[in-house]
Amino acid sequence: MDSRHPTQSPAMTEPNPEPQASAPQRGPAISIAGSSAPRPIKKSRDVGNVALKGLNAYYGANHAVRGVSLDFDADRVTAIIGPSGCGKSTMVRCINRMHEEISGARASGQVLLDGLDLYDKAIDVVAVRRAVGMVFQKPNPFPTMSVIDNVTAGLRLTGASRGELEDRGREALVGAGLWDEVKDRLKAPGAGLSGGQQQRLCIARALAVEPEVLLMDEPCSALDPVATLKIEELIGELKQRVTVVIVTHNMQQAARVADTTVFMLSGELVEVGPTDKIFTNPDDDRTEQYVTGKFG
Amino acid sequence: MSPIETRSQYQEELDRLEASALDGLDMVSTALERTLEAVEQQDVELAQLVVADDDRIDGRYLEVHQSLITLLATQSPVATDLRLISALLHVLKSVERMGDQCVNICKMIPLSGNEPPSDREMVKLILSMGGQTRALISQAKRAFAGRDVELARDLVHQDDMVDELNRDCFRLALEIGDDADRREWAMTMLLAARAIERIADNAVDIGEQVAFVVTGLFREFEDASHPAG
Repeated sequence: MDSRHPTQSPAMTEPNPEPQASAPQRGPAISIAGSSAPRPIKKSRDVGNVALKGLNAYYGANHAVRGVSLDFDADRVTAIIGPSGCGKSTMVRCINRMHEEISGARASGQVLLDGLDLYDKAIDVVAVRRAVGMVFQKPNPFPTMSVIDNVTAGLRLTGASRGELEDRGREALVGAGLWDEVKDRLKAPGAGLSGGQQQRLCIARALAVEPEVLLMDEPCSALDPVATLKIEELIGELKQRVTVVIVTHNMQQAARVADTTVFMLSGELVEVGPTDKIFTNPDDDRTEQYVTGKFG
Repeated sequence: MSPIETRSQYQEELDRLEASALDGLDMVSTALERTLEAVEQQDVELAQLVVADDDRIDGRYLEVHQSLITLLATQSPVATDLRLISALLHVLKSVERMGDQCVNICKMIPLSGNEPPSDREMVKLILSMGGQTRALISQAKRAFAGRDVELARDLVHQDDMVDELNRDCFRLALEIGDDADRREWAMTMLLAARAIERIADNAVDIGEQVAFVVTGLFREFEDASHPAG
């Protein structure tokens, strides 16, 4: 791949615009444009495996991610840790091709989702972002939309029926652990929810289109401790249905939620391993120094 | 990563607590030295001093233990720091138990009477065990402070000598003769020998913690329930 400024997905931009009325066909989690045999929507957790192979990412001349090869396994939560500017968010944004939306940004190498190269020229970028959802640092509900409309915004782009919208909207809210808190005010503005609820609303919005992978870029950094713990509990439940990749500066959060932890430094992958090993006996001295907070 | 050192106060506190915990081994060594003198001289007053002084060892245990728990709660230590704190908690427990063993020995001294029918050869064995055990305590401290796994492993061999002396004590007690007072005294000394042998085992336990801090893997140097060979 070597993509620059491809078509932008309206549902996944940050800050988010309102979804557009001219919706594409509701279809599979991911498909190759023009293919008559799209892949079916994921029904079990035998899908959602992401593999990076020699991934490089640039901002103009700045080489932000340097030849990273890494697997994200289904049914697991993987945390990416590292100091500011180490390339962790950039790497994650390459997975759903958000990186290339930035002027002057480009990427090379391969990002495979269940063996399918997401940077293949024949791949529909919108479908990529449907299969690989993303939750950002600050909750970003559509400000003029109700709670339920926020959740089903992406679904409406797929042409889902009213009944289907209601059913899947409710399922997504249940999946995001928000249903009991909002079931009596589904028509109220989403922006009226608390910060933690808004973030779970955004998670519900991402879940509604049944992604295979959920990318979370510092999802709790704007939340209070209680809201943070709710999101962390939710992450533990979400991994049963989506592959979760979380970028965090909070190492205790990584230790609490992740099965696998990845440490990056200066755009390079330094160490990847089971979270308990990374936080008790890392192999690399640089990892040791970082997780113990001796150097920053 | 920038070479700017961070968390210096935390590191200083961790260093201070390690030094304080290891100093506990010096306190135990002193207690054992006095205990041996009390055994040799049948010095009841010195024995009572050791018993009273054990409060200092217990106080050290409580003080450092609480500070380590506070560090765990407030600083979220991980990796080597976490292993070190875990090991120091073990060291503290060993220190406290070693002190208690000295107390156990000293509490027996009045029971054996002011002028017991002692056996010079057996007392010599006990003193030899105690001296060897004090050397183990010192070696355990040096191994821990220097993160020296080889020195820590060598504690096993030194401990074997203590075990052999303990067996010699047992053999001597069997041969002590038919006099009831001498047999009672010998039984008391066997309990003292057993207590010293346990102190040496605690020193080996500390050596195992050295290996854990350095390698991240905890393995007993010797499995008492499945001895090699």
